Amino acid sequence: MVIGAGTGIGFAIASRYSERPRQIGQLIACLTTLKSYVNYISMPLPEALEHSGAVVDGPVKELFERTGKLLASDGWLSPRQVLAGVLEEMAEKLVLGLPEREILLQLGANLGTTNRDEQQKYLAMVIAGLEKIEQESRHARDLNVKMFRYLGICAGLALTILLV
Amino acid sequence: MNRYAILEKTIFPLLAPILATIIRSAPLCMLEEATELRLRAGQPLMLQIGDKDYLLGSDGRPVTDLKAAYVCTREDLVQTLQIVSRNSLYAFEQELRLGFFTVPGGHRIGLTGQAIMNDGELKALKNIGTMNIRLARAIPEVAAPVMPYLLTGSGRVFSTLLIGPPRSGKTTLLRDIVRQLSSGVPRLNFSGVQVGVVDERSEIAACRDGIPTADLGPRADVLDGCPKATGMLMLIRSMAPQVVITDELGRQEDAAAVQEALHAGVSVIASVHGRDVEDIKERPFIGELVRHKFFDRYIVLSSSPTIGTVEMIIAVKQDALLLKRSDGVRECG
Repeated sequence: MVIGAGTGIGFAIASRYSERPRQIGQLIACLTTLKSYVNYISMPLPEALEHSGAVVDGPVKELFERTGKLLASDGWLSPRQVLAGVLEEMAEKLVLGLPEREILLQLGANLGTTNRDEQQKYLAMVIAGLEKIEQESRHARDLNVKMFRYLGICAGLALTILLV
Repeated sequence: MNRYAILEKTIFPLLAPILATIIRSAPLCMLEEATELRLRAGQPLMLQIGDKDYLLGSDGRPVTDLKAAYVCTREDLVQTLQIVSRNSLYAFEQELRLGFFTVPGGHRIGLTGQAIMNDGELKALKNIGTMNIRLARAIPEVAAPVMPYLLTGSGRVFSTLLIGPPRSGKTTLLRDIVRQLSSGVPRLNFSGVQVGVVDERSEIAACRDGIPTADLGPRADVLDGCPKATGMLMLIRSMAPQVVITDELGRQEDAAAVQEALHAGVSVIASVHGRDVEDIKERPFIGELVRHKFFDRYIVLSSSPTIGTVEMIIAVKQDALLLKRSDGVRECG
């Protein structure tokens, strides 16, 4: 049972490392779609966010859809306020690190506040920033996933030996 | 739907929550008659009825003492602009350049703020300091008295120019003309025609996401936010309308587009700023249309004694006066 628990913890930590680049990749896909909605058809933000979320699934889809819906229903709130609230509520589901969270909050502060050209430039910059973080997170995944799995098993075994 | 219900549906949801609460609490008789709401950052909240304005206190009651009035904050204006623009200023670049939004219900929200210039042209407004919400008032059947003068009797529609000074009811009349031409007028044995509307300033149809929020009947196609000249030609090519309707002709290309539409056999109904026909004749470009009698009918409007008074209706090609104000026709107001 102790070996099983140790293995489980190790696999759980490893899965966060493997899930993070996947979610960042999904964020990039959604923001690329958002950029198109803003740039080509000037779709208002609440609808554009909801539509952008539809290109992926899981927690990132939920992040975009909930943000869009809240902006539509409580229009006096700024995108930054809404995004910050949703990120906090979804902290357990989203496997995002501090750098990408900060980028998302900065994005929230700028979304919808400028003209189309500026929005396009800003979204392109955010996407480029996320791509860099995605690469780093993939590197971290390659380094850490196997290590935490083995660590979990080994820690379980070590603890069993000590207990015996 | 009564006036309060209209405000509840179309205006209160657009206001910052605190402003909505205050204005909702204003006396019903004032809300019924209100024509404008003025929001100025750092200044008292104001409700206007005709020429007279009233300051509102935090409880919604009118006050005379400036100190007792609710003072609008910049945050109130920012929140209101966020709601009106749906947090998407990029989607309303044209509106910010023109200085107003038209919202569902046909209400118009004028803005002032800091101008952003580019190559000598106004690019946008930022740091909005004032919002003036002009409350539209729907007047059903407003075009009924003039409809008999617009129909040929054989199912066609006379090309008509509405002439009047600002605030003489031109757009209100145009909107109802669209609705009646599109829906048909049973009492005149008119079953309706395909109508194309070029709504450059979103005032006729008050479109939201391309769909008219004003009732324009079942046969109206609206090009929203499109320049008049481009829009008229686009509609003729793509939608085959029997009538094209647009607001406020003025530019050279507008006059050229009207001529092209008429040559294509499409009737045109449009409005133009002016006191009377003689006034329009002297105008560049549009004067040309008048001097060469391109239109079949002129409807001259005035704001005296009330907004929407029909001064006269002229049959252009017959050079005949069909109606004069002494005949007592008033189309709205």
